[in-house]
Amino acid sequence: MSGQVSGAVSRAWPTVSVVAGREIAVKLRDKAFIFTTVFMLLLVTAATVLPVLLTQRVPDVRVAVQGDAAVEVVELAARLGAEEQETSAPQSPADLLVLTGLPAANISWVTVEPGVDVDRILEQEDVSAALLGDELTSLQLVSLREVPSELNTLVTAASAELQAAEAAARSGLTAEEFAAITQPTAPAVELLEPREEGTIPPEFIALVFAFLFYLSVLTFGMSIAQSVVEEKQSRVVELLVAAMPVRWLLAGKVLGNTIMAVGQVAVIVGAGLVGAVVAGQSALVGQLAASSGWFVLFFLLGFVMLSCLWAVGGSLASRVEELSSTTAVMQILVIVPFFAAVMPIDEGTRQVLSYVPFTAPLLMPARIVHDGVAAWEPVVAAVLVLATAVGLVLLGARLYAGSVLHTSGRLKAAQAWRGVA
Amino acid sequence: MDRELRLVGISRSFGDHVALDDVSFTVRPGRTTGFVGANGAGKTTAMRIILGVLAPDAGRVELGGEPLTLPVRARFGYMPEERGLYPKMKVADQLIYLGRVHGLDLATARRNTEALLAELGLADRADDVLHTLSLGNQQRVQVAAALVHDPILLVLDEPFSGLDPIAVDAMGALLRERAAAGVPVLFSSHQLELVERVCDDVVIIDHGRVVAAGEAQELRAARAGRRYRVRVARDGGAPLDAAALAAAVPGATVVDGGNGAAVVDLGTDGDEQALVAAALAQGALRELTPVVPTLAEIFREVVR
Repeated sequence: MSGQVSGAVSRAWPTVSVVAGREIAVKLRDKAFIFTTVFMLLLVTAATVLPVLLTQRVPDVRVAVQGDAAVEVVELAARLGAEEQETSAPQSPADLLVLTGLPAANISWVTVEPGVDVDRILEQEDVSAALLGDELTSLQLVSLREVPSELNTLVTAASAELQAAEAAARSGLTAEEFAAITQPTAPAVELLEPREEGTIPPEFIALVFAFLFYLSVLTFGMSIAQSVVEEKQSRVVELLVAAMPVRWLLAGKVLGNTIMAVGQVAVIVGAGLVGAVVAGQSALVGQLAASSGWFVLFFLLGFVMLSCLWAVGGSLASRVEELSSTTAVMQILVIVPFFAAVMPIDEGTRQVLSYVPFTAPLLMPARIVHDGVAAWEPVVAAVLVLATAVGLVLLGARLYAGSVLHTSGRLKAAQAWRGVA
Repeated sequence: MDRELRLVGISRSFGDHVALDDVSFTVRPGRTTGFVGANGAGKTTAMRIILGVLAPDAGRVELGGEPLTLPVRARFGYMPEERGLYPKMKVADQLIYLGRVHGLDLATARRNTEALLAELGLADRADDVLHTLSLGNQQRVQVAAALVHDPILLVLDEPFSGLDPIAVDAMGALLRERAAAGVPVLFSSHQLELVERVCDDVVIIDHGRVVAAGEAQELRAARAGRRYRVRVARDGGAPLDAAALAAAVPGATVVDGGNGAAVVDLGTDGDEQALVAAALAQGALRELTPVVPTLAEIFREVVR
C-alpha cells in the first residue's frame, strides 16, 4: 500500500509539470497573447519615456506685437517664461500631474507697425498669435484657431502684474509695499518624512499594481477557463483523466498560467524599469524595487486563489460560447476588488477590505506603501488569502472533477458538487 | 506483464438508474475480448470504471490479482467512445504530450510517436495540425494516442465505428497484433459480425448485467444445441416437406423451412437417427449438418 502511494506521489510532479508545460507552449503560440504583451510593453515604455521627453521640451512661441502696452506685456511674459525654465528642472512623470505655477516657454516676438493688418500677418507669418493694444486694460490676444496655453497663461500673468504695479504706483505704494501685496511671503513648508526627490506617489504605484493584477487575473483566468472547456468540448479530457487524477490536471493548468502571468507582469514591469533607468530615473527604480516584495507575494496568492475558480467556471460550461455566463461570478470577483482598490474610500473600510481575501491582494499592498501598517498586518492578510486559496483549490478540484466529464450542456455548481457524470 | 484484468462484482448507479449490477468478467492476456451489448447496456460505464474515470459504487477491478493503482492505471491504453484530441495541436506534439502524461520521458515519447506514426502511415503528417487531417486519419491518430505509451492493457470503446471496410480490417489486425504481444485487449462493439471475426472471447452485457461470457467458439458451440440443417433431393424435384420431417421426429420443431432445406431444432430429447430416417423417407439425403449459431443469434437470444 505504501508503495502505491509513493508511486503516485512521485508521478504527480512530473505529470503536473508536463500539463503546465503544454499550457505555456499553447500560450506562447497564441497570437492574442503575444499581441497584448507587445502592446503592454509599448504602452509601458511610452508611459515612462514620453512624459520625460515632454517635460524636457520647452515650447517656442512666436508672437506678433502691436501697440506699446502689448510690447511691455510680451517682454515681461518672455522673462517669466525664461525664469520658469531655470527653476523647474525636469521631474519625474508623476510631477506632471501636480504641476503648478507658470509654464516654461521661449517667447520671441516681432513688432508690427500700427495700421498693418494683423489678420494678414497671422495668416502669412510664422506666428502663433498676435497681442494688440496700447492700454493694459484693453489688450487683445488674437490667434487663428487656438492660443498656445503657455502663451495665454504667461501673458495673463504679465498683464496682471503690470496692472497691479500701475495701480500700486497710482496709490503711492513703495516698491516694498507693492512686493508685499503681489509676492507675499508663503509659509515655509517642512516635510517630516519627505518623499525622495524624483519618486512617484504611492497612490500611483498602487494604481499600477491594481491594474496589472486586474489585467492578469482577467486574461489568464479566462485562458484557464478556456483551456478547460476546450478539453471538454474536444472530449480529449476523458483521455487525460484516465491518465491522471483530475487534481493534477487542475494543478498543471493553474501552475502553467501562473508562470505565464507572473512572467508577463515581470516583462512589462521590467520594461518599465529599464525605461525609467534609460530616462534617468534610477531613484524611481529603487523605490519600486523596495516596495514590490509584498506586491509580488499578494499577486501570487491572489492569482492562485482566483485561478482555481476560473477553472471551475470553465468546467461548468460545455462549449466555449457558454463561458461568459459560467464565469460571470469570477469577473465580478475581479472587478469589485479592482474598483475597491482604485476608488477613494474611507480609511476604516480600506482597513477592513485589506483583510477580506478577495480584496486583500490589492488593498493590503496599497495600504503598506500608502498608510504604513504594523508588521503583523500583511502577514495576517497573506495567511487569510492563503487559507482561502487552499479552500478554493479543494473546492475547485471537487467541482472540476464532478463536472469535467459532463459534456452535454451547462451545469450548475450544485450539480458539479454532487458529481453528475 | 501478461496479467489478466478482472472485474469483480462491479455495481454503479446514476441516480435511480442502475447502469451496472454486480458485473464480473475477465479479460485475458494474449486474447482479444469483445464486449457486446445494446445501446445503454452499460459498456461505456464499465470501461470508464476500468480506466478509473468513474468510480464504482461497489466491487473492484484487479490486474494480475492486485487492485489497480494510479501508476498501473496510467499505463492503460484507452480509446473513449467520444473521440477527442486537441484540434489545434500538431499531430506529433499531442502524441508526445499524451505519452508524457502517461509517464513516459520526453525521449521515449518522441521515439514511440515517430514509430507509431510511421506504422500508421502518418509520418508525413506529423507536423500538421490535427483538424486539417481527414476524419479517417484523425481516427488513426486517436488509435496512436491509445498506443503511444506501450500500454499494458488496451480498452477501446467502439473502435470500429465510423471506419470503412479497409480500415476495419486494419483495426482488427492491430488489435490481434497487440493481443499477440501479450496485452489484454477489451473492445466494445455492436457490430456483431465484426466481433465474431476479431475476438477470441466475448462478454455479453444486457441492462447492466453480464448474460454470457467466455470463449467465442465455446459459447457458440454450447448454444449450438441440437439444431440441424437438412437438405433432401426428392423425386420429381419437389421441395422438402419440413413440417412432415419435424412431425416424424418426436419433440422436433422447424426453425426455418425455406429454400429447399430445413433447419430443425431437435429439442432436448429428439433423436438424430429419427431425423435421418425421416429425411431418407422423403428422398436422397444430400446434407445434414449441425447448425452453430452466430454471435448475433446468440446475442438476440440472450438479450431478448
